[in-house]
Amino acid sequence: MLKVHTDKKLQSATNLLYATWLQFLIRYRRTLLGPLWIIITPALFIGFLGLLYAEIGNIPASSFIPHLAIGLVFWTLINSFVTNSTVIFIHGKAQILQGTLSIPSIIMMNIFTNILTFAHQLIIICAVLVYFRIDMSAYAFLSIIGFALIVLNGVWLSFVFGILGARYRDLQEIVQAVMRIAFLATPIIWMPGETGRGGVLGIYLTINPFYHFLELVRAPLLGASIQPISWIVVITITLLGGSLAYWFHRRFSALVPLWI
Amino acid sequence: MDLAPGNVKELGHQVNKDLLIEVKNLDLIVPVFHAADRQLMLNPTRFFSDLYFSRTQRGMTTLLQDISFKLGAGERLGVVGANGAGKSTLLRVIAGIYKPTSGQLAISGTTKGLFDISLGMHPEATGLENIYMRGLHMGLSLSEIRSLVKEVVGFAELEDHIDKPLSTYSTGMRLRLAFSISTMIEPDILLLDEWIGAGDVHFSKKIKARMDGLVEQSRGLVLATHNAGLMKRLCTKALVLDKGQVTFEGEIEDALDFHNTTKKPNQNA
Repeated sequence: MLKVHTDKKLQSATNLLYATWLQFLIRYRRTLLGPLWIIITPALFIGFLGLLYAEIGNIPASSFIPHLAIGLVFWTLINSFVTNSTVIFIHGKAQILQGTLSIPSIIMMNIFTNILTFAHQLIIICAVLVYFRIDMSAYAFLSIIGFALIVLNGVWLSFVFGILGARYRDLQEIVQAVMRIAFLATPIIWMPGETGRGGVLGIYLTINPFYHFLELVRAPLLGASIQPISWIVVITITLLGGSLAYWFHRRFSALVPLWI
Repeated sequence: MDLAPGNVKELGHQVNKDLLIEVKNLDLIVPVFHAADRQLMLNPTRFFSDLYFSRTQRGMTTLLQDISFKLGAGERLGVVGANGAGKSTLLRVIAGIYKPTSGQLAISGTTKGLFDISLGMHPEATGLENIYMRGLHMGLSLSEIRSLVKEVVGFAELEDHIDKPLSTYSTGMRLRLAFSISTMIEPDILLLDEWIGAGDVHFSKKIKARMDGLVEQSRGLVLATHNAGLMKRLCTKALVLDKGQVTFEGEIEDALDFHNTTKKPNQNA
């Protein structure tokens, strides 16, 4: 037997990363292709819908498919942050009630799970960018900052939605409904117009926060410019969300074990 | 409705060799849900009205009230009380899972509770993966887990089955593995919610030996149990809980007498 000396409240990130990786391994144990399914599903979607919608919308596939691929993959990341957050504590019930995992540890594992899924799908983006020979300059690296901002927002979402979702099980239903609409209202499977980014939706596009998040990661990769409003919206949401998460954590985290 | 544990004075992990646990005027008040209608499913048409029109009511309930006690180094506290008296809840508060609503809780050392040991196992994963998973969750490093694996597998007597998914295990095998995993590390303060003992005669003996070993090596023990004999054997002092309140604190014999005389006749636990 091993004697533990320290009471580890928040576990080391490496430990949780290993645990997440192991969970991945277990989840795909019984499948033939394993985690390749994470890549195959969106790849099929992008392949078929990309060609079809390019035809319908009379847009060249070489400009529509990269737009669709980057949009869809990053949307999957955003969507998994938003929707998974609502059930993380309910799924971690056994670990919380045994006292093996703390609230922040569960959140960190959720972040790792989503990033690991995203890392698989990043291959699709790379393949599309190479296939269509998209010209990229150093400017493309700016999307790393966009990615970091999405992850930061995932952290506060996990706290806020996780806690709310533990208390009100309705949240999962609401969030799923909203995200389904948001998917169609955000320029992923359609393009916001050739010239003025906004197109038919015009001003309404600017009130869609998901659009701004996508712009920060997609525009640099496609060599388009980012409107200042996108930076303002995303950074404001990050700061407000972060403060909200801090307050939620201090006020309600202790009650989560009672709610689940 | 102030639910947050704002007025809890956390004394934290003080370095105090003599006092392991100090609880002072601890309350735990939690929100609860009541179904609005007790006449559920009286007839088929009620399905509709219960599902769409019954509103659950929210209220507050006091699980623990004004609990105070101390546990010194080397002391073993037995907690008795009827079902629902708050024994398990108290253990979870000491384990840091439930945060008290008010009062003080000071713990020096690591605590580990053996609660619901079979929960949180992954049926799709192999026994070995379950060992690693739990170890990682408990904050052990990979090399620490690797050094424990042989002993855990050996103790659970799983041999080659360790590479098979848990879903193929028999109930006994699953229990042996869960027990073996849960007891692979030793805490300073051991929290036991009922004595764990099951399986065949041979394995029961092994469980007893290991549990005795854990108790022996821990610096303190809190045991919630209905078993008077066990308490007499292990504990050095006792606490009687009734409806979330401490009604007696003192010697084991006195506590058991007190508990037996105060409990309702229809409870034979």
